[in-house]
Amino acid sequence: MTTLAVGLRRRRLLPAGLHTLRGTAGVLLVGVVVLAGLLAPLLTDADPLAQSGLALAGPSGAHPFGTDDLGRDLFSRVLHGIRTDLLISVTAVPVGAVLGCALALLAATSRGADVAVQRVFDLLLAFPGLILALAVTAVLGPGRWPVVIVIALAEIPGFGRQLRAGILVQREREYALAARVGGASRARVLLRHVLPNAVDPLIVQGAIAFSLAVFIEGAMSFLGVGVRPPEPSLGGILSQSMAYLSTHPGYAAAPLLVVTALVLGLTLIAEALNEGIRR
Amino acid sequence: MTSLSRRSLLRGSVAAAGLLSLAACRSAAESGDGAAASAGPRRGGTLSLATTIDYTPSLLFAQSANTLVQRLVFNTLTRYDDQLRPQPELATSWQPAADGRSITFKLRDDVLFHDGRKFTADDVIFAVKNLQNPVRSAQLRSTAATVTEFRKNGDHELTLELAHPVSNLFDLFEFMIITDSATVEDAVAGKQLIGTGPFRYGKRTPGSSITFTRNEKYWNPGRPYLDGVEIRVIPQADSLVSSLKTGQSHLSYHVPGKDLAGLKGSGQFQLRPYDTGSGAYYIGVNVSAEQVKDKRVRQAISWAVDRERLVQQALGGYGLPSAAPWPKSSPAYSDANATHYRHDPAKARELLKEAGVSGLTLPFAHSNTPDGTAIAQILQHDLKQVGIETELQPTDSPTMQKQLISQTMPALWTLSHGFAQLHPATLAVSAYPFNEAKNSSHFSSPGYTDIVQRAWKRPDSDSAEAKALYQQVTDTLLDEAFVIDLAIGGQIEVAGTKVHGATLNKFNYLNLDDAYLTV
Amino acid sequence: MRTFLLRRLPSGLLVLLAASFLIFLILRLIPGDPATSLAGPDAGPEAVAAIRARLGLDRPLLGQYLGWLGDLATGRLGPSYAIGGEVADLIGDSLGATVELTLGALLLVILLGLPLGVLGATVRRGPVAVAVRALTTTVLAIPPFVTGVVLVLVFAVTLGLLPAGGHESILDQPDLGVQYLLLPALCLALPSAAILGRYLKDGLERALAEDYVRTATALGISRRRIVLRHALPNALPPAVTVLGLQVGQLLGGAVLVEAIFAWPGLGQLAEQGVLRRDYPVVQDLLLLLVAVYVAVQLVTDLVYTWLDPRIRWE
Repeated sequence: MTTLAVGLRRRRLLPAGLHTLRGTAGVLLVGVVVLAGLLAPLLTDADPLAQSGLALAGPSGAHPFGTDDLGRDLFSRVLHGIRTDLLISVTAVPVGAVLGCALALLAATSRGADVAVQRVFDLLLAFPGLILALAVTAVLGPGRWPVVIVIALAEIPGFGRQLRAGILVQREREYALAARVGGASRARVLLRHVLPNAVDPLIVQGAIAFSLAVFIEGAMSFLGVGVRPPEPSLGGILSQSMAYLSTHPGYAAAPLLVVTALVLGLTLIAEALNEGIRR
Repeated sequence: MTSLSRRSLLRGSVAAAGLLSLAACRSAAESGDGAAASAGPRRGGTLSLATTIDYTPSLLFAQSANTLVQRLVFNTLTRYDDQLRPQPELATSWQPAADGRSITFKLRDDVLFHDGRKFTADDVIFAVKNLQNPVRSAQLRSTAATVTEFRKNGDHELTLELAHPVSNLFDLFEFMIITDSATVEDAVAGKQLIGTGPFRYGKRTPGSSITFTRNEKYWNPGRPYLDGVEIRVIPQADSLVSSLKTGQSHLSYHVPGKDLAGLKGSGQFQLRPYDTGSGAYYIGVNVSAEQVKDKRVRQAISWAVDRERLVQQALGGYGLPSAAPWPKSSPAYSDANATHYRHDPAKARELLKEAGVSGLTLPFAHSNTPDGTAIAQILQHDLKQVGIETELQPTDSPTMQKQLISQTMPALWTLSHGFAQLHPATLAVSAYPFNEAKNSSHFSSPGYTDIVQRAWKRPDSDSAEAKALYQQVTDTLLDEAFVIDLAIGGQIEVAGTKVHGATLNKFNYLNLDDAYLTV
Repeated sequence: MRTFLLRRLPSGLLVLLAASFLIFLILRLIPGDPATSLAGPDAGPEAVAAIRARLGLDRPLLGQYLGWLGDLATGRLGPSYAIGGEVADLIGDSLGATVELTLGALLLVILLGLPLGVLGATVRRGPVAVAVRALTTTVLAIPPFVTGVVLVLVFAVTLGLLPAGGHESILDQPDLGVQYLLLPALCLALPSAAILGRYLKDGLERALAEDYVRTATALGISRRRIVLRHALPNALPPAVTVLGLQVGQLLGGAVLVEAIFAWPGLGQLAEQGVLRRDYPVVQDLLLLLVAVYVAVQLVTDLVYTWLDPRIRWE
């Protein structure tokens, strides 16, 4: 929220932000994880769903990460799990972002709309997300869609509030006032002048949103309302491994490492971008 | 600059240390169980029991997922020993008529309810009538309903007249708790429980805990040994296991299968399996679904599943792979029945071919708990190997229950069932999956109904003739395969080494009359 | 301030009304039915019908909704369906536990977040700086349920220092209560503390770059005094806003933490309520949460206004 104050200086420094050590490290971490997920079918020919009698085995030549409780190859499951998480986030985050931004633009049209939109954000934030997840999954039946919907709903207020605050700041700046004095319509000023200047913080929000998506997917799996089994997902593998944390810690290691790397990378990118904007 | 940071760090740590030192005066973390020297029963102590499922007051009179409370607060007329022979409890002796159409009980005359009222024959009459009430949803209602008349002979002798003989009569008396008639509505509303049992109902914090205190006027002299019992509700199975490992809880019957192997290896616990309640895992088939109408398809499913692997990977090795519903303690058990279907994918494929079925894709519902999900995935994989694709439908228990009751289950589902641990007739007249009159599989056949009724409506339960009828029931179940049994799991008692003498009855009622804690 | 409240209250009430409608609708859309789950696994249709009539579930939906609003308006919450007991008691007890957990966590957030922020802004190099940065980033990168399970494994199972879960009221037995509280509160607090620390660090860095700081340094005022007396007060208002947002996060995150630590709070009650289709419990509880959130937002705005004299009551 406060970072917006810093988004004042209108200079596009996205790449510059990413050129810092932190930014590079972030891009590298996320890049490796994303690539591993995208190239999963090339990196392993083990079927992530094939079971065997060899359960909870340690790492070996045949199973680089070992096997899970049903004797499935963990390496393959983790790689395909990344794909699942990517697919979910790539659908859910943009939907949440677009809806949030649309609401923020609506809020900019009038005072009444502004109050209404703010209360909508309040409502979305007030609902305990995981209870909503239980309810949505119960209504729709389990699968990817409930996860996507829950994540999208959770992302709306983040983007919306961010953009609304940005618009409020930008609207009062000289160039916007000048445009309005120059006879440009309200909508035109908003879309042509104010909006482009208020989007910088949204890109930071985007990076944060992706890491939030990974967490929500994990928490939903932990509560038993994640993607439909036996499809692997990072959160699903991780939450299944929790029962074996003391007896077979290796089971949790790989999915945890991937989740941490992904989220850490996204956080680093967000920070780097943030500093880039600020500079 | 650094002095500042040190200082603020210091302040933070002083505050934290304050909290910790406050914590140091009394520890809420129990020290782990050492090897306790057992020196016979000891009076005193509070037993802490962990369960994943909270008790549901409205299901007090039905067999449900949590039946730990029933035998703590209440008593039954009789209780079974390991061979299903009834032993006296509130009834001291009984005399069935030769034709099996009546039975006369002599009752204890020294029993008081927790509110001080004396227990009499009227309380037994109330208990039977209460179970006849459909609103109580008692599974043994059909058996209770055979009682048509009550004849009192004084306050402590009672004759029950039956409409027809039933072979599972004593299952009813193992099941039926004797409650105080005046407060029964309070009991099902969760307000109070008044019985004659070893413990008085204390405080319940829904979703968290229930406490019980010793009944000082219990009819069994010197019992119970314990001062109190606490049932702790820990919905997350992993947390429940942690609670046992830290010694915070002493005893549990709800440890998930996959955790059992780890606990067994630790040497910190005694594990004991019971042939009781909801412990048989099965695949239910909705025979009204077009693709599984042909019994050869259902038989193929039964050949396709690897019961051994299921027991190893999902049940921690605790369970008996079996194609029939009966545990070893049942009069209907035989090795031949249990191994009637073995893991034989080739045979399964052959049967499917014979039935002219290929490219099957079936919806497959399962409970969305970690255990239920693991079992379903194992079965899905096995079925895929013979060419049957399934789409898993993780379902939460209220939805499942509604579908079961309203007979709207998908083509396949997997769950667990109880009632096979009793007299075999009880399974077929009481348990929903097997009920001859109305079951979730939509299966009915005059032949099945006839055998079930004959096995049920007879005065004896373990003559050669009775056993022959049970075998016919089993043969039908195996041949028709509308319920495909996978493994007999039973309840596994996980007890810390301090705990002695806890037992379950055949309906999973926890009996702590003789239980004690060593130091 | 009165005008401020007058302007905010009506829209707050509208939010509650909209929330009540949504909650009611979503619950009815969930498959499964309170009557069948209450009736038991082997119930007959008579039993289900009797329960349905007793609970008033055979009435039309609109009637049920209006009936609920009416009951709320008159303050009657009535009995729960499946969990047992009165809804008011259930919510009261679990609210107490959640407030305890949230306040405990909030205290830890401040205790951990303040030093993290100050250290982050003032110590730029060396092992302390690395440790602070590593802590704030990794804590945020590990899913909270993993943190919870690991905390239990380390502090309860392995070290045996603290209980693995459960709850003892801190008011009745402070010494035991604190021990039960420590792990769940810490698990809940860690991510929020890292976020607070980061915002505070940003704010402090910006404040320290201002001209007056340079002037003050030139005047020979000690660095400590500058940070504590000048920079911190300027960095606090936005941090308080973040803290306000985090309270919402804490309440939401409580669902997971309460499940891991068997903490009998609102999250557990809501989860149990949804899982058992206990309509009254879930309805009243969720509405209460929305109300609490709206109130917290209001209070945050008030505090913000109070801390930052540049904003005037409009």
